[in-house]
Amino acid sequence: MSGEGDGAMERLYAERLARYTTAMRNGRPDMVPIRPFVAEFTARHAGFTCQEVTHDYDKAFEAARRCAVDFDWDAVVSNMVYVWTGLTQAMGLRYYGVPGIDVPPDVGFQYLEPGDDGAFMRADEYDELIADPTAFLYNVWLPRVSSEVMQPGEASSYRGNLALVKGAMAMMQYFGAFGTQNARLRCESGTVSAIAGIFKAPFDILADKLRGYVGLCMDMCEQPSKVLEACEALMPHLYHVAKTTADPLQQVPIGYWMHRGCVPFVSPDQFASHYWPTVRPIIEELWRHGHQTLFYAEGDWKHHLESFRELPDQSIVYHVDQADVFDVHERLGDKFCLSGGIPNFLLAHRPASEVRDFCKKVIDVVAADGGYIMDASAIMQHDTRGENLAAMTECTREYGVYSGGTSSPPATPIVAEGSLSAHGGSATRPGQCVEWAKKAASLPVLEGDADLVEEVWNNIDSLGNVFIWQWLLSF
Amino acid sequence: MPGDQELFDAVLQADRDRVIAAVRAGVDGGTPVSSLLMDCMVPAMREIGDRFAAGELFIPEMLFAARAMQAGLDIVEPLLGDSDHGSLGRVAVGTVKGDMHDIGKNLVVMMLKGGGYRVTDLGVDCSLETYEAAVAEGSTVLCCSALLTSTMTYMKQVVGRFQKDPAVKVIVGGAPVTRAFAEDIGADGFAEHASEATRVVSACLAGSAPAR
Ligand code: B12
Repeated sequence: MSGEGDGAMERLYAERLARYTTAMRNGRPDMVPIRPFVAEFTARHAGFTCQEVTHDYDKAFEAARRCAVDFDWDAVVSNMVYVWTGLTQAMGLRYYGVPGIDVPPDVGFQYLEPGDDGAFMRADEYDELIADPTAFLYNVWLPRVSSEVMQPGEASSYRGNLALVKGAMAMMQYFGAFGTQNARLRCESGTVSAIAGIFKAPFDILADKLRGYVGLCMDMCEQPSKVLEACEALMPHLYHVAKTTADPLQQVPIGYWMHRGCVPFVSPDQFASHYWPTVRPIIEELWRHGHQTLFYAEGDWKHHLESFRELPDQSIVYHVDQADVFDVHERLGDKFCLSGGIPNFLLAHRPASEVRDFCKKVIDVVAADGGYIMDASAIMQHDTRGENLAAMTECTREYGVYSGGTSSPPATPIVAEGSLSAHGGSATRPGQCVEWAKKAASLPVLEGDADLVEEVWNNIDSLGNVFIWQWLLSF
Repeated sequence: MPGDQELFDAVLQADRDRVIAAVRAGVDGGTPVSSLLMDCMVPAMREIGDRFAAGELFIPEMLFAARAMQAGLDIVEPLLGDSDHGSLGRVAVGTVKGDMHDIGKNLVVMMLKGGGYRVTDLGVDCSLETYEAAVAEGSTVLCCSALLTSTMTYMKQVVGRFQKDPAVKVIVGGAPVTRAFAEDIGADGFAEHASEATRVVSACLAGSAPAR
């Protein structure tokens, strides 16, 4: 990739990567890194509609690259308009409102949570989920969220079979395209792809995709121990997804999208009994393997900062949404790098001068000793003004320069295998769908290289696992 | 709270069955329904709102209390004469166009119902026409909720639409909405928390100053 002319771009990339990773390890780089989570803003900037970037991921990728070229940003998400209609159409996915189909062409795609009467998992189905989460997702959940896929026992259909084939091929195609996108970001603008991999809390998975928030609230009242058991059953699987999708070079963090585990969505007792105990071990284990997690703390998690302090130094990057970024800095800044905290309201609706004033204050106080990454509070949709993002960028470059900053490569923690890699009690191991043992029982005695046969079986079987868990977590 | 500590407690503890039983007992025993509402259920909901604002109760408890209260209201409301709570006014609550977030809006609905108002829940994704229809049906206060910076601007249109009609007040709220924004767009009222909604609505109806 690095020909003659690319040397300068490669140097820029290396500089930005060092700046970004140094800050993330709570260090003091040469200047404050800028890593804006721009979603539908990219479309606005590149002259596309929301419909275009949602239906055509090449356009979405192009829009992200255009922003990366036009703004002096250290890192971006390769495509924050992450829903691609090709995928949702293939499966007849029920839970997205899609621009041009369900919502107007210039409105961003949106997740639509069903009410408690239409939840994708019923209150009496906990045992089935707990016994085998992967099988539950395939057998119960998928046929409910898809208008095409049939339930086991129902007569199979042409459309149902097609949906599975098209859905799987579309996912391969889409995920494959990210590799090229990241390489192009690197060599065309020297920009780092900001995150790799995905994690969500067991509790949030139950609320977002299975029981719905209201349904889960009822369950927490009527069958709290089942909810806890379900969270525990999900843990090894969610850990597996995070671990296997993480950056193998351990440079950029795993995205952890935090939805409704904080006060007032739950009580402090529920946070302590259900939410945190089923998250903390996963974050710790990921860190033991050298992976940082980006806590994208949507809303205001001010009641829980003490719990987050239980985590090892530097193990997370803490993103500030509606909380007071100065307060969070005082309470967490010694342990973790922070990002965000620039109100989207300012970026969308106030003059650039106000954006500059606020950013300057954040740089002066929160970024004073390093360990801060400039970004808006929430993801930026098409209401964000370009001139305000430019103001945020310029102000950071102007005031965000450190004297005597270093760019030390991040230290790699010791790797030790913990309990989460184990079975976790569910019938199907994390990462698999049909165990080799079951398959082997149906085969004649193998000759030659039996390990090879097993290896191929497991590799292909794991694709079935990737498919279903990615639907659950990423789309 | 003359007579019915039990109803007050039942709402406060979000015990649906006890609320139903207590309301039935009250009705059968001849307690005026307006008293069951205004002297028992309303104070209980006010207490719940205060505890939520103080950080002693959380959304799940609020949802349960709302369900319990609603079960009581279902019995009481058909029995109420217009003069019984019509005097407090009719309020319509909805999340603005393009916005599907309704957890906060539902809390506002519940606090206003619990404040003794006659409340129309307009749901989510409410266009100007939806608000107009609510006014045509007698609502004089419109409460708009928005959770997205991209939809909060729609509130300005709602305010603009009813600016020339002094009888209609528009109150705004939702996480990204600030007092300054509310003042900016000329809203008649703003509250940060659902628990303050009743106070703001009553101030509006009393004709007090805008956006305070
Ligand atoms: C739950 C949630 C959802 C759920 C909504 C479920 C539902 N039935 O409501 C789902 C998953 C569907 C969802 C979807 C989306 N969401 Co959303 N969501 C949230 C979340 C996690 C919580 C919001 C919430 O319920 N808060 C709790 C309630 C109680 O608070 P509240 O509404 O502010 O209400 C309080 C007060 O404000 C007041 N109040 C509220 N309204 C009113 C009105 C009046 C008149 C008064 C007086 C008071 C008042 O009373 C309440 C109690 O005190 C927030 C992040 C967060 N944690 O805040 C993101 C968030 C709001 N969502 C966001 C986004 C981007 C989206 C999507 C676009 C994502 C997507 N691409 O799919 C879609 C958009 C859908 C749409 N068109 O609306 C962003 C908004 C960013 C921005 N730029 O503004 C946020 C901030 C997340 C983030 N950090 O990126 N979301």
